[in-house]
Amino acid sequence: MALAVPEFLGGGGPSIIAQQATPILLVALGQCVVLQIGSIDLSNAATGLFACILAALTLGPLGVASPVLCLAVVTAIGVINGLILVYTQIPSFALTLGTLGVMQAASLVVTGSNVVYVMDNMAVVAWLFTVQVATLPVAFLIAVALAVVLWAFLRFTVPGQGLAAVGYNERAAALSGQPVRALKVLAFGLSGFFAGLAGLCVISIAGAASSIGLGSDLLVPSIAAALVGGTAITGGACNPLNVVFGALFVALIPVGSAAVGVDPQAQSIVYGAVLIVAVAATMSRSRHGIVK
Amino acid sequence: MMQSQIPRAVALSPAVLALEGVSKAFGPVVAVKPLSLTIPRHQVVGLIGENGAGKSTLLKMLTGVHLVDQGKMMLNGREVRFRGPLDATAQGVGIVHQEQSLFTNLSVAENIVMGAGRSGSQAVKGGLYRWSTVRAEAAEVLARIGSRISPDTLVGDLSFAERQMVEIARTIHLACQTAAAQGGAPLVILDEPTSVLEQAETEVLEAEIARLRAIGSVIFVSHRLEEVLRICDRTVVMRDGEIVADRLTSEVTEADLYRLMIGKDRHARSREAVPLAQGAPVLRTRALGKTAAFRDIDIALYPRRITAIVGTFGAGREALIRTLFGIDDPDSGTIELDGTPVTDWTPRRAIAAGLAYLPAERGVESSVGGLSAARNLTTVPFGDMAGWLLSPARRKALAAAWFDKLDIRPRLPGQPLERFSGGNQQKVMLAKWLTLGPRVLLLDHPLRGLDPGAGANVNACIRAACAEGAAVLLLADTLEEALDLGHEIIVMRDGAISARFDMAEDDPTTLDLLEKMV
Repeated sequence: MALAVPEFLGGGGPSIIAQQATPILLVALGQCVVLQIGSIDLSNAATGLFACILAALTLGPLGVASPVLCLAVVTAIGVINGLILVYTQIPSFALTLGTLGVMQAASLVVTGSNVVYVMDNMAVVAWLFTVQVATLPVAFLIAVALAVVLWAFLRFTVPGQGLAAVGYNERAAALSGQPVRALKVLAFGLSGFFAGLAGLCVISIAGAASSIGLGSDLLVPSIAAALVGGTAITGGACNPLNVVFGALFVALIPVGSAAVGVDPQAQSIVYGAVLIVAVAATMSRSRHGIVK
Repeated sequence: MMQSQIPRAVALSPAVLALEGVSKAFGPVVAVKPLSLTIPRHQVVGLIGENGAGKSTLLKMLTGVHLVDQGKMMLNGREVRFRGPLDATAQGVGIVHQEQSLFTNLSVAENIVMGAGRSGSQAVKGGLYRWSTVRAEAAEVLARIGSRISPDTLVGDLSFAERQMVEIARTIHLACQTAAAQGGAPLVILDEPTSVLEQAETEVLEAEIARLRAIGSVIFVSHRLEEVLRICDRTVVMRDGEIVADRLTSEVTEADLYRLMIGKDRHARSREAVPLAQGAPVLRTRALGKTAAFRDIDIALYPRRITAIVGTFGAGREALIRTLFGIDDPDSGTIELDGTPVTDWTPRRAIAAGLAYLPAERGVESSVGGLSAARNLTTVPFGDMAGWLLSPARRKALAAAWFDKLDIRPRLPGQPLERFSGGNQQKVMLAKWLTLGPRVLLLDHPLRGLDPGAGANVNACIRAACAEGAAVLLLADTLEEALDLGHEIIVMRDGAISARFDMAEDDPTTLDLLEKMV
């Protein structure tokens, strides 16, 4: 990149990439916890957008309480996802596909298909991207810090190790006394929580929210970021620190391909092709000969 | 009938199978010593022996899973050397396993024809399936073994015995083709086909075997000796990797075969004094029952005592131990812990109460292959491992201590568990529970899949844990193991307790135990 277009580094490129990468990274962090237990959450990006819309609606009247409310609501949505999964044994793919539809429709209904502008108290979230440290928005640095925290959680705590055990061998984990159900609910709750943070970032960047606006297309990039970060889709192997690089890489593709002059209409081709190559290069295959 | 037309045990044409000095060793462990065996056409040969006698290794050599170390294997007069299971099938050796390998979402016809290969089936023309041919071919195969199963039925809708028939049909279909192409007869191996069948289903199977005899030869492996006597023309007994007897079935009795299998009828090896059942039992059951598994089970487990349960496959031992750990729910009776009946018994509650369970299926239910051995040691979130934080330093120290204590090799606790040998994996699994200092150890075939050296090692660990105060319930693989380890031996037959031996007073022999098992 920097070789092809030298002014990329000097001209605020890193800052743009970091800004683009932040919501992707946050959704991907939630996703990788769910992937860690061998499930998938297709609904978390839509849940994040719902949080974004909720924030747009409530920032004016509630002020500082609004982000707290948003995070509480989306975390609860994640927990509900987890509870349904655990008690009905619906495959996570099917379940979250359903939740995805529900959340999209909820976003439409709540906004009445309009763009919702933040009327007041924008300052509550604006600092996330206006304050910069070493040319990087503070929100990005917070997201990276959260990735480190998540990494430590997965590596150095009892529930963190339990998540890995469930991902590798659920039956053995259950017979070893791991609280399998609680761990699954935890994973989906975290997925909702991180999606909510992504939603707050989007509102901070855009100052407005709509069901088809900024933040409505985070699902594929976030899963891609988790996979490029080496997360095994079969469960058990996940390193949030690598997901940071996955998110940066995924954010770089559209910005980069525009910078080197790829026709905007052909960008999706580049995006898809680069993604396949990147996942093929980084995916963890060591454990499973069979990947579905 | 058929039998009268075909002279039994008389080889007119070359024998279907002839082994000359065939042997197999795994490292220093000799599983099958050089042995010779000839199976003429149209003969059903029973192969019996205790677990670890070398039967499965022999079968695996015959079916190309293991390469033969030494010796010659002749099939229909030609020398063969199998490169793999597919090769063995292609040469005319078919095997039907106890665990079924059918596709339950496909029809009977598809299952039979699918494995047949290009030469065996006309059903695929130009890359397309011709359904009428698939059906016709399958119907023909089924008719040959006299089965009345419709080729269009989904395998998933069949009963277990019917599926067994389909397996046999498929195997015969394969074995016959190649055998016919080479002018020989097929060899079909039935590996404990009856252990999961009901009485009526077994009779159907017996009729099938009689028909099979007209087509080729059969090796019938079973733990049920009365069936072997009824079905087979000849019985081969293996012990310690050798053929110790090869008799016409008409000349032996069930008792003879048992004696041959066990070898020297023996008592428990001399050992230290048997600890008495002192104080109150930690865990006891009262009239515990579960439909179609076990009934009226009264057992009491005391600290520092090993209770071994022996029984044949299907005696209900496995279901009982899983019920004790809260994996399955009983239908009647109670489990009492320190004299108090338990309610809502789950593995988590059981572990919290001081129980530990070592499952028989290590890879499926016990080990977490991708995690390191050290992490596997700490996957039970109770006792020292309860709470939130995992200290890597403490885990390291814990792993180092237990690796030393149980002599787990290599001393690389950070290595993924799946890279350890079976015996060492099992020791890690045992250590996982021992770190908690369990009050009750439930051991479900702890030596399964281990070589004798590793087994002795694991047994020493079990004895040590018991001496430190655990009450142990052991489902042993062999009667010798039960006799040598058990302080009390309980014999189960068909879901009920048929005998109890307190080793402080009684001194049963392996034969005494067997008598109560069958």
